[in-house]
Amino acid sequence: MNILEVDKLTKRYGSEVAVSNLSFSLEEGTSTALIGPNGAGKTTTLSILAGLLKQTSGTADWKNHSGIGFLPQHPQLFPWLTALEFLEMAARLSGIAAREARSRSIETLQFVGLGSALNKKTGTFSGGMKQRLGLAQAIVHRPKLLLLDEPVSALDPTGRREIMNLLKSLQHDTTILYSTHILNDAEEMTDQVLFLRRGQLVEQGSLEEVKARYAEPNIRIRFQDVRSAAHFVEQHNWNARVEGTSVLLPLGEAGPRMEEVLSVLSKDATAVSGIERQQATLEEIFLKVAGAE
Amino acid sequence: MTQFNVLLKKEWRENFRNYKVFWIPIVFILFGIIEPVTNYFMPQILDSVGNLPDGAVIEIPPPEPEEILVAVMGQYQLIGILVLVLAYMGSVAGERKNGTATLLYVRPLSYRSYFLSKWILASAVGMLSVWSGLLAAYYYTFLLFERVDFTKFLKFGATYSLWILLIVSLVLLMSAVLPNAGLAAAGSLLLIFVFQLIDGLLGTYWTVSPLKIPGYAAQWLLDGPKPEDFWWTAGIGILLIFAMILAGIRSSKANASKTKV
Repeated sequence: MNILEVDKLTKRYGSEVAVSNLSFSLEEGTSTALIGPNGAGKTTTLSILAGLLKQTSGTADWKNHSGIGFLPQHPQLFPWLTALEFLEMAARLSGIAAREARSRSIETLQFVGLGSALNKKTGTFSGGMKQRLGLAQAIVHRPKLLLLDEPVSALDPTGRREIMNLLKSLQHDTTILYSTHILNDAEEMTDQVLFLRRGQLVEQGSLEEVKARYAEPNIRIRFQDVRSAAHFVEQHNWNARVEGTSVLLPLGEAGPRMEEVLSVLSKDATAVSGIERQQATLEEIFLKVAGAE
Repeated sequence: MTQFNVLLKKEWRENFRNYKVFWIPIVFILFGIIEPVTNYFMPQILDSVGNLPDGAVIEIPPPEPEEILVAVMGQYQLIGILVLVLAYMGSVAGERKNGTATLLYVRPLSYRSYFLSKWILASAVGMLSVWSGLLAAYYYTFLLFERVDFTKFLKFGATYSLWILLIVSLVLLMSAVLPNAGLAAAGSLLLIFVFQLIDGLLGTYWTVSPLKIPGYAAQWLLDGPKPEDFWWTAGIGILLIFAMILAGIRSSKANASKTKV
């Protein structure tokens, strides 16, 4: 069942188009990565969905507006409030009763690893702690849809790993839409990817679908040593490339057919230690999509 | 009502922990005390800094106690208003500009509660400041000069409080309308200055105007203003406060999308 349906969403600032005719849907309980270069329209899209910005045209229908949690890229907290006061306020403004707001706030702070900083003023928090508290305010009312704008981009590798683990533990109960530049993280926690470029959705689908679309028919042949690999490349004029003890060989239009390669290799199989089909990484797809004009 | 209580608590914590509830009244109290004290010691002050020839005698008639309270109000008209404008210029615009408002606006927020909570706290601090300052001035005037009729003093203070509420409402409205705290302060001070200038130049032709409120407050210490003019002016002042609150609520909502994400 879809929790969010976005149809022809457009946002213009004067003559400048920030988001153009964006259409996609989010299935309940899935996580979707919104990927694109700077200025692609990711933050604008998330801001519209969070209700912070009004679209110029198009619709974004979700089941329950109060059931949305939003984490901005750099969450700005009230420095004179303690973590618990801030989270309680966030919970109560989301409609949770006073007593429940307190218990849920404590529980959520413990969940994001701020259990020992309940009564510390947020003005004294490090970047990582602010990001955790930002995440806590986004989930304290247990939203059905969680919108996260670059949730880990400002963090060091340890902080990034911790936040990613928290997000993964939320995946089962919450639908997550997040923008990111950290493509390894996206590969780790994504059911669907949406590639934006200049405000337009240029690629969409499950990670496997998108990878399959961008998969180049390359094979990697692993040899026992560098000499064998170099010898193989010298013998055949196939546009192949030596990478250490491996040879990267394009098939199809840019190179030979698979049968041809296998036939050649079978003649001297002792030098070969393995053959594998190459799959494009999300980063390679990103570079292709972002670079395409 | 729940949202209003939550937001009011937030405003209280902000004003308390940023020490606004302390330092603003202290400024008003200091200016309330300085006026009667300097007037009392004026002959000695002139004597020590006046560089007068030997044997010169300057006779300064002691001011009327009512005149001292009016002079205190004159200080508030300049310094007091400046302090209030600077303290509350960022109430809405500042939260939008630094992005703290994002985490509020993303919730099903009542903008009426949001703006009213700010108005009530700023007004309360304004009232606390004006009354503690005026009471300090009243006490020192009584100690060093003579006693001012307390009923007249209450009418004076109440009328001037209405003017302070107008100023607070204007600052918060400007903060909701304009994109940043600096512009909100500049806009508020410019409007106050321009309207007072217009009133100073052409004010003799109209007697019913909110700009006359400080003047009418001063008149309570003497013979009192003409009741009809005063009540019409006070009524229009109250209506103007309501109008500015309504406009502030609308602007807060309309400009919510300008918050930094």
